[in-house]
Amino acid sequence: MPIGGFVVVLDLSVSDEVLKQFSQFPQIDVHGVNEEGSAVVVIDTETSDEMEQLTRQLQKIDGVLSLGVTYFHAEDEIEKIESGEIKPSFSFGRKGEKSENCS
Amino acid sequence: MSLSRRDFIKNTAALTAASYIGMSLPFVAGEASATDVASWHRGTCRLCGTGCRVQLGINSKGTPVAMRGEPKSRTNFGYLCMKGMMFYKIMNHPDRLKMPLYREKKTDKFREISWDKALDIAAQKFAESKQKYGPNSTAYYGSGQCLTEETYLFQKIMRAALQTNNVEGNPRLCMASAVGGYLTSFGADEPIGGYANIEKSSCMFLIGSNMAEAHPVIFRRVMRHKMNNKDKVKIINADPRISATSRIADMHMQFKPGTDLAMLNAMAYTIIDEKLHDEQFIQDYAVFRQGKKVQVDMDTYWQSLQDYTPEKAAAICGGNITAQMIREAARMFAKSDGTMTFWCMGINQRKRGVWANNLIHNLHILTGQLCKEGADSFSLTGQPNACGGVREGGGLCHILPGHRLVAKEKLRNQVEDAWGIPRGRIAPKPGAHTIKMFQQVNSADIKAIWINCTSPAQSLPNVDLYRKGMAREDVFIVTSDIFPTKTTELSNLVLPTAFHFEKTGVYGCTERRSQITPRAVVSPGEARPETWIATEWCARMAKYLNDPVVLQTVKPFLGKEMYVEQPEAIWDEYTQKLTKHRDNDLRGATYKVLKQMADGVQWPAATESYALTGGTVMKFVKGSDPMATSESKDDKPFQFYGPAHADRKLWVWVRPQAGADEEPDAEWPMYLSTGRIIDHWHTTSMTGRIPELMRANPYSFVEINPKDALKHGIKPNDMVEISSRRGKVTMPAKVMEGPIEGMVFAYWHDMHEDRMINKVVKDSFDPGSKEPEFKICACRIKRVSGPKALKPFVV
Repeated sequence: MPIGGFVVVLDLSVSDEVLKQFSQFPQIDVHGVNEEGSAVVVIDTETSDEMEQLTRQLQKIDGVLSLGVTYFHAEDEIEKIESGEIKPSFSFGRKGEKSENCS
Repeated sequence: MSLSRRDFIKNTAALTAASYIGMSLPFVAGEASATDVASWHRGTCRLCGTGCRVQLGINSKGTPVAMRGEPKSRTNFGYLCMKGMMFYKIMNHPDRLKMPLYREKKTDKFREISWDKALDIAAQKFAESKQKYGPNSTAYYGSGQCLTEETYLFQKIMRAALQTNNVEGNPRLCMASAVGGYLTSFGADEPIGGYANIEKSSCMFLIGSNMAEAHPVIFRRVMRHKMNNKDKVKIINADPRISATSRIADMHMQFKPGTDLAMLNAMAYTIIDEKLHDEQFIQDYAVFRQGKKVQVDMDTYWQSLQDYTPEKAAAICGGNITAQMIREAARMFAKSDGTMTFWCMGINQRKRGVWANNLIHNLHILTGQLCKEGADSFSLTGQPNACGGVREGGGLCHILPGHRLVAKEKLRNQVEDAWGIPRGRIAPKPGAHTIKMFQQVNSADIKAIWINCTSPAQSLPNVDLYRKGMAREDVFIVTSDIFPTKTTELSNLVLPTAFHFEKTGVYGCTERRSQITPRAVVSPGEARPETWIATEWCARMAKYLNDPVVLQTVKPFLGKEMYVEQPEAIWDEYTQKLTKHRDNDLRGATYKVLKQMADGVQWPAATESYALTGGTVMKFVKGSDPMATSESKDDKPFQFYGPAHADRKLWVWVRPQAGADEEPDAEWPMYLSTGRIIDHWHTTSMTGRIPELMRANPYSFVEINPKDALKHGIKPNDMVEISSRRGKVTMPAKVMEGPIEGMVFAYWHDMHEDRMINKVVKDSFDPGSKEPEFKICACRIKRVSGPKALKPFVV
């Protein structure tokens, strides 16, 4: 269950609307916005995959100018992967895979 | 995890973010930070050349579990990109190489062997090669990701013990043209200033760089500066491709590939034509050159620019370039209070990459946009230690440590004396540059090669040609790395190495800044630091070669504790003996000092007390750079004391337009260019093993202009074959207003045989820098099928 700390730069002219959209995500806590439009945001998700998808979703919102990650903690997720409790859904095409594009 | 502990971690995350923007939050920092991890360890990110400082969080079991930026760092001020934030996740990846692997024949299966056996085999093979076929039958091919201690030690062994200058590395593929440009224009390698100029500049000229994806943390600084000063700061982006970087530009100059020299000359024409040049600066500090030994006057230079009036250049450049646009760009560049140019591979990876570098420097010299706040001619670097290790530490075939040329006997003697080996021991001729080295692998003139921390079997241009040579049974290949790669598949001996934070050493980033990463984590299995591996290998070679100088090469490091004492002894030898009184004087940057500094030291820094101030922010400027005073020859404020220009002048070069080595024709009608995408790094041996990054960009795409897509009947995500005189690949199409019409752009990271774009890219190279022209060749495209489900792939 990773936790990320972010500085999200907002377009001040639409920042209220953007923050309203942020509030629809239960995983997101906004801790404040400074005068330049930089918001302190904490995201708490079940998996790293969910974190990654959510951050990409946020970056697509009109008025989000940039999303800078400043802190990332994934301790219990790593422990669960190590213990076998979580098996990452992502799989690689591994050794021995044959050509798949060209006939 | 208890709720309170989780809340503490969330508070820490919020406090960390808040600290970067000076915001106060109602939490107690001490309570939060005391519970989130057992300990934090400062180091440098290893996934680009920016030099971001990070803190790695370790839990009580010694496992890395968290990452945060270092807020006191003047490179990144605590910010990181997703690549940087997640690279620690590969440290415990199950694919890590954990034992030495060996096979006599490349068609055999690997078997695990002991370190003792592995080092003996490597020593015997290299010694045998030297004895039977001569010193130049051996070679080392390293990386801009090796620590300085590693590059320095390997090159020392090759030159002093094996007596060959066959020392190369992948920085030849990315920044050799920048080295050539700095040396021929300024007389000294590496930028004059640093990132600190970003926030002081009024105009930024971004050419041949997709900074937003390749250097996202620097881009953030550029973007922030622009947003804070929307009207005052102007940004010009010049590139045949509209990229994520273009979105912040006031002007995007989209020119036909390979016409950049004409465009830059036309900007110089405008600057002189409209009298925007700085006459006093030119008079005090510059001369005009037509060749290395041919000095000309300004009038001759001006005459050479008559072929590049804005009207003539606009006709050459095509795209959206107009004469008016060139004039506007030149005015913005010249009139601003401080202009900073950033460039990267779009300029360097060209048949005339050095010339392109020269023409950028010309603009800065003509306008005096140097040696003052906000002004700099700044080449971005792709790897974390291409500058520190390879450019400064002697990691290329023609250079010795401390910015010394192999070809100069006096400089060779200085190195031989410092190493305590007989004069004449270092071979007088430079070794084989990268493409020549792999040509010699193809012909088996090179019989034994050590490849360290890089994968030329994927990263070389025209790669299939060179993979044939690497597959030869009469060429012995040692590869040292952390994961299996396309290159380990062609090796006889694979040695597992310690990863970042599992060993101690120094990286020198783009802005002359050296930063230490001390060991914080135990390596998996029997992975070992390269410095230990190289030392033990050389000591064993002494036995086979029966040569006391071979043992002397590593004697100062033998038997030392491998994680701290050994790299420190190597760093001390390099800095104290070989950078002394050189322009990259690093004597003050001892491990003791580097461990105290949040963000390292910028050279020159000759003493510890000076290094503790952070070092030299602006080279050549009296009051900023102590060497500008100690090396001063007159009362002028700037002193260009670099080793390559005896006249201590900046050189403005007469350079004509020169296109690509392979231009499109009737048979191969399109331009092909390649580059990076955000979240991936080089051959994806690392980022391909981080699911979050791989999921975001699971395989390569080819970007196609909508007009070209229409012509070829290609729709988004259709499978498209890209072919050239050298090979072909097939990948999905991204139809977008990115590349200029007539050009396609492919990401080069993908390891899959069907999508490895370097099979198609040409291996022609710049005759000066020997850097290959990855950025331009001729190709054709055709639709193969509709969309197909593809799987991401790593070996």
